[in-house]
Amino acid sequence: MEAQVTHGPIAATQVLTGSLRDVILALLLLVVALCVVLAGWAGWFVARDRAVILNQLWGGAVVEAFVLVQGVVAIVQGATGAGAADPLLFWGYYATTLVILPIAAAWAFAERTKWSSVVLLVASLTVAFLEWRMWQIWTGA
Amino acid sequence: MMEQRTAGRRTGRGFGRVLVTVYGILAFAALGRSSYELVVKFDEAPVAYTLSTLAAVVYVLATFALAIGTPAWRLTAWITVGIEAVGVVTVGALSLADAQAFGESTVWSGFGQGYGYVPLVLPFVGLWWLWRTSHSTSEERTA
Repeated sequence: MEAQVTHGPIAATQVLTGSLRDVILALLLLVVALCVVLAGWAGWFVARDRAVILNQLWGGAVVEAFVLVQGVVAIVQGATGAGAADPLLFWGYYATTLVILPIAAAWAFAERTKWSSVVLLVASLTVAFLEWRMWQIWTGA
Repeated sequence: MMEQRTAGRRTGRGFGRVLVTVYGILAFAALGRSSYELVVKFDEAPVAYTLSTLAAVVYVLATFALAIGTPAWRLTAWITVGIEAVGVVTVGALSLADAQAFGESTVWSGFGQGYGYVPLVLPFVGLWWLWRTSHSTSEERTA
């Protein structure tokens, strides 16, 4: 592991390099991939005219767990002065990303038709999209 | 449990689940956007950011109204969804005619271009859904 100690907040704030960037990107791609899998699973259920099942909610919980890990990484990053270019914007998006799946899951599960699967599909794709936006904000793109 | 047959179907059921979900996501997006704008840069474009805040409140109200879907909330749904339809078309047209009409872009600028035109499509789907669910049908439970 290379040392990532960067002295001085000016140099560290905007520049995200080396292994730290790789860790964040890998985590992000993992969450996006899981979201796409979950969306595919939900899409399959829509096609089969089936309602959301409990196992799919567990799938959502796995996504949620990794989003929480992202939050921890972001906090650590922020504490070392290498956080997002615009912290307020980033955490706003993060909070939205964090709450969408649990709310959507509860909302979907109360409906016992295929429309509940559409809800899960929409929610999963939204989280994937928000991940991409968070990456843009983080890197200041 | 007895369904209130005379007042039409509940708007939060069936396809309505999906409609409320998309509304909820847009409400989050609009609310996040406007809070950020109000806190960070309100002075830059007060008109645009006031409009963003108004849009956010309307989206939140519409989401709850459609989700609850009781007869009393149905009126709120009609009004808020109606405001959105008028708002997105008006602001969209004005922003096309004059890019600087509001000083800065809003959720409704360019007919909701920044949000994949979802703000343009959604109110009309909402109005359609409110109209469709306004009379009870025999397939109430299957929709």
